[in-house]
Amino acid sequence: MGLNKPDHYQILGILRDASQEDIKRAYFEAAQRLHPDKNVAAGETEIFLDIQQAYEVLSNPRRKTMYDATLPPEIETHGVVKHEFILSRPNLVKLAEPQLVYGLLEIGSREGPDKIPAPPLNICLVLDRSTSMQGEKMDMVKAAATQLIRSLRPQDVFSVVAFSDKAEVIIPAAINWEMKKQEARIQFMQTSGATEIFQGLDAGLQEVCRSLNPSRVNHIILLTDGHTYGDEQACLQLADSAARQNIGITGLGVGNEWNDIFLDALASRTGGSSVYISKPKDIQRILVDKFNALASTFADDVILEYKVQKHVRINYAFRLQPEGGTVQLENPMHLGPISREVPLHFLIEFVVDPSALEQDHVTLLDGALKISVAALPTPVPPIRLRIVCDVDAKPSSEPPPTRILSALSKLTLYRMQERARTAADEGQYSSAARHLQNLATHLLSQGQNSLAKTALMEADNIERMHAFSASGNKDIKYSTRALLLSAPKEKAR
Amino acid sequence: MIVCTNCKHDNMDGAMFCAECGAQLLGQDLTTQNISTEEFRSSLPRVDQDSYQPFDGRDAWGSLHLLDTGQVLPLSARNEFTLGRVSEGQPIMPDIDLSPYQAYAGGVSRLHAVIKQSGGRILLMDLGSANGTYINGKRLQANVEQALNHGDIVALGKLKIQILVKN
Repeated sequence: MGLNKPDHYQILGILRDASQEDIKRAYFEAAQRLHPDKNVAAGETEIFLDIQQAYEVLSNPRRKTMYDATLPPEIETHGVVKHEFILSRPNLVKLAEPQLVYGLLEIGSREGPDKIPAPPLNICLVLDRSTSMQGEKMDMVKAAATQLIRSLRPQDVFSVVAFSDKAEVIIPAAINWEMKKQEARIQFMQTSGATEIFQGLDAGLQEVCRSLNPSRVNHIILLTDGHTYGDEQACLQLADSAARQNIGITGLGVGNEWNDIFLDALASRTGGSSVYISKPKDIQRILVDKFNALASTFADDVILEYKVQKHVRINYAFRLQPEGGTVQLENPMHLGPISREVPLHFLIEFVVDPSALEQDHVTLLDGALKISVAALPTPVPPIRLRIVCDVDAKPSSEPPPTRILSALSKLTLYRMQERARTAADEGQYSSAARHLQNLATHLLSQGQNSLAKTALMEADNIERMHAFSASGNKDIKYSTRALLLSAPKEKAR
Repeated sequence: MIVCTNCKHDNMDGAMFCAECGAQLLGQDLTTQNISTEEFRSSLPRVDQDSYQPFDGRDAWGSLHLLDTGQVLPLSARNEFTLGRVSEGQPIMPDIDLSPYQAYAGGVSRLHAVIKQSGGRILLMDLGSANGTYINGKRLQANVEQALNHGDIVALGKLKIQILVKN
């Protein structure tokens, strides 16, 4: 943070008008996450001490008043970020059954991309070099890594870790790199052994931590082609620890043998996402695209902290852009990055219990958005997000906002795919097949003929063999996810 | 509770798309309105007689001859067309909208069937429509392609269409 040390309010992630209750809550939440008894990750004890100091000052009204007097005027919240939250309908209806309401959050940089400096990178490439990577996959990985080394800017920190059942640092994290030597080290990578993702992730995290700096985009790109066995839970804990240090994780899965559910869970804990690489020849292009996306980051991650509401449940959450991906329903929620060019769009589904409707308005969400903008030396003050919806006897006749409608119409396709998989996992094969057939109908009508065909073939596979084909479920999942980003196809008439 | 008119699934109030079949739920009350066929006839668009010759486009691979109203719709420019009926607030549009030809009264689903040309053959597939698709009176199984021949009478619900194939 350099000269501009964050003030006590920023450390606790609260606004200056926070009540004593808010301060206490923020402290307890932070303490729970960061207590030294629970966490041993590097740097966390220092953060915890800062938090404790901040709380000691702010929880004492007399000391708080004295401290407030020393503070410079608060930086205007609407300085660098603009945001908007819209609901699918203006009011809830008095009903004796649960009801749904959708919210869409759009948050982006206020300034155009040319006005914000591009942040320096601190990226570790964690590469699977298990035996199954042998051949074209490894060749493509080497070519891609070489290209990335050549495209680095002088301010970027880059490291490479290769792993199988143990990890090896191929290129240690540093700025002063000798390009030729590094390229040679990449070329010498050999395939052998099994896939143990924890080994690679752990070593990768250590490399990133060596140059960890909030003014950089700190990120791990994990590339694998296989399942990891037994260490999933440890990996997820590692991802949580990365998230607390503001390190993002992207998972790239090559071929059909990797576990997309696991890689999604791993990446989404940090606000990242997983990408499916169906053919080895696409490795280079996708890796370079990912690198470019990271280089045009505006904010690494948007974190939503919220109070759990008694009668309102968050049922589903999804990031529509800049990269479509699942968002873990946890508190805090990692919504994902904001790109310099593309704002973050995040869709949330609330289920409102009838018991909430006794009052004439319901608080759907009460929390704050924390945004870490890499290119700015000072932390961005949290943005309060308090969404209250009125309760009325009758539904509103107003049509829902088109932005929510069009987002949901595309998300519906992705969710049908999810439902088909859930049903298949539960052994309800005819239901899974029906979901896929319905999905195919919708895809067909949108002109996605080959994807519709894949969905129908998978429906057939499930009915006959009670299983997806090796590539089918990933094809459908990542293609319907990609549809979220593309503009709807022009109607042919 | 909102009951999906497409698949009868019970959705929670406030839902916008059916959780079961993905159909849009808003504006569905439109489907329960009763409109007499006569109104449809009188509201039919006036079509210039010269503009719909059976095989006007050189690239048309076939035509749909609507038996009730007499129009002929050429199939050209692409190899695949979805047939259905456009209704308000629908995110998914059929390529060929049959609503000017009494599709509503004939019980045509919003996405009823798909007709395509493939390997010199013309194929028809029902897309799980409510009232079914028939070739010469024989009902098709949903989502299964069936070959069509010149002169076949296809019924989408009660809407009858003769298939004209360019040789």
